[in-house]
Amino acid sequence: MTRAFHVYIGFLIVFIMAPILIVAVVSFSGGKVPEFPPKSFSFQWYDYALNYSLFTRSAVNSAWLALISTVIAAPIAVAAALAIVRKRFPGRDAIQTFLLAPLIVPSIVIGLSILLGFATVGIRDIFFRLIGAHVLITFPYLVRTVIASLSRVDVTVEEAARTLGANNWRTFWHVTLPLIRPGIIAGMLFSFIVSFDNVSVSLFLTSARTNTLPLAILSYVEFNFDPSIAAISTMLILFSLGAAVILERVVGLRKVLGV
Amino acid sequence: MMKTRTALFFLTPAVMIMVALLVMPVGYLVRFSFFVGQQGAQTAGGFTLANYAKLLGDSFYLGILGRTLYLSLITTTLSVLTGYPLAHFMWKTSKRWRGMLTILVLSPLLVSIVVSSYGWIVILGNRGVINNALIGLGLIDTPVKLMFTNIAIVVGLVHIVMPFMVLSILAALERIDPLLAEAATTLGANRLRTLWHVILPLALPGIGAGTTIVFSLAMSAYVTPAVLGGSGPNFITTLIYHQFVTLFNWPFGATVAALLLSVSVGIVFFYVRVLSRVGALGVQAR
Repeated sequence: MTRAFHVYIGFLIVFIMAPILIVAVVSFSGGKVPEFPPKSFSFQWYDYALNYSLFTRSAVNSAWLALISTVIAAPIAVAAALAIVRKRFPGRDAIQTFLLAPLIVPSIVIGLSILLGFATVGIRDIFFRLIGAHVLITFPYLVRTVIASLSRVDVTVEEAARTLGANNWRTFWHVTLPLIRPGIIAGMLFSFIVSFDNVSVSLFLTSARTNTLPLAILSYVEFNFDPSIAAISTMLILFSLGAAVILERVVGLRKVLGV
Repeated sequence: MMKTRTALFFLTPAVMIMVALLVMPVGYLVRFSFFVGQQGAQTAGGFTLANYAKLLGDSFYLGILGRTLYLSLITTTLSVLTGYPLAHFMWKTSKRWRGMLTILVLSPLLVSIVVSSYGWIVILGNRGVINNALIGLGLIDTPVKLMFTNIAIVVGLVHIVMPFMVLSILAALERIDPLLAEAATTLGANRLRTLWHVILPLALPGIGAGTTIVFSLAMSAYVTPAVLGGSGPNFITTLIYHQFVTLFNWPFGATVAALLLSVSVGIVFFYVRVLSRVGALGVQAR
């Protein structure tokens, strides 16, 4: 490979990392506006962000939302994946495509549909419709990771358990589940991140009182430009990159993303 | 092998949530797009095609739709030009580096989009990293306006959608039999000719899949045009937001959303149907 090619690759990697790295550097600045490189160093914006109730309250909301949605979606996804992988039936591919459909529908359309759909049937509780929307957007990722890990399980191991007298339930609980557990946990971790970071689906479903962290950040940036956002962002980056390393080790990031 | 009854029992909850949370709500959205629309009309009724006529007959809205398609097209083209070399590099690099590179290339997807948008503000702003550097070097006297321009939107969009292009192309490259390139070299082709006549044609399915994903993602992005493109409706998604949240014209907003939905589903359908027939499809629409 030529030198020009390597320079171009280097440039692309800088392009990918630039906004993320610069946010991290700016978060430690001592000034009132984000400057790069910072003229002075301080932790004041971390202190500010962690004590600002708008951020802390919405962060708690986001964490609960991500946790509840994932816990609801995961068992449904495991059951569906089991049926898709372990049973040959006509229309299996169609069902699988149907369950992955939320990935094709633009997320802003999903958010609006939930808003209008829930309003039409008379459900106006904000947390309820947020959970509905987030179950829908996390579900396909869970289905995909569980299918990926189930397909790698050797069927003869399950057959051996049955030959030795275990019924279907015991086979699942003592043989299949332990084998796919890393995949399920990885899927749940990714699902948590997808929900926690989501903007375009939640956009129409929150209110000024019940907000998620990404939306709180978005509305804060509209009127303020101080480095407190950089401080929160850096904490989010560390969390995401930590999760990314775990996901890459356990199932491989590309399996989770499906490309 | 599972019993049919058990399989049905296992699939039922999944199909139920898809119907309750996707099929029915989207149905309500489409129905809303036929309601009589007016400003402040959150609850509406009747049946009319006027919303569609307004959307497709007014030069203001057509301008926004055209701009959305134009910027998405540029974003897709740039994603191929940046994504192919990255995928090729990842394909050729050793196993040890590939894991780290994967995390690096995918980091825009894992880091919240509000975070990277904020990063681009810091970089592209009038007193941002680029302008400060250019002024510091004495190349310009007054800041170049980068924020709230098409450039800012395209930069932000390429940053978040390119990983999908890289992964799609990489998947296609990994299916290439390494002996093919070797055979081409043995038969006297140099590296460039091997790339052009052997590798690129085999990577085309990946480029096709990537183009489909990237174009629909770019077109339906909200945060990037909202934050980097400035205030006011300048993109199909910000137009939807404007209609719903600022003007409270729900039926018209639903019409724009229905159009966005049909275009993105149409692209995927076109890809699966047409491109697979001409043989440019080795990668399934996953």
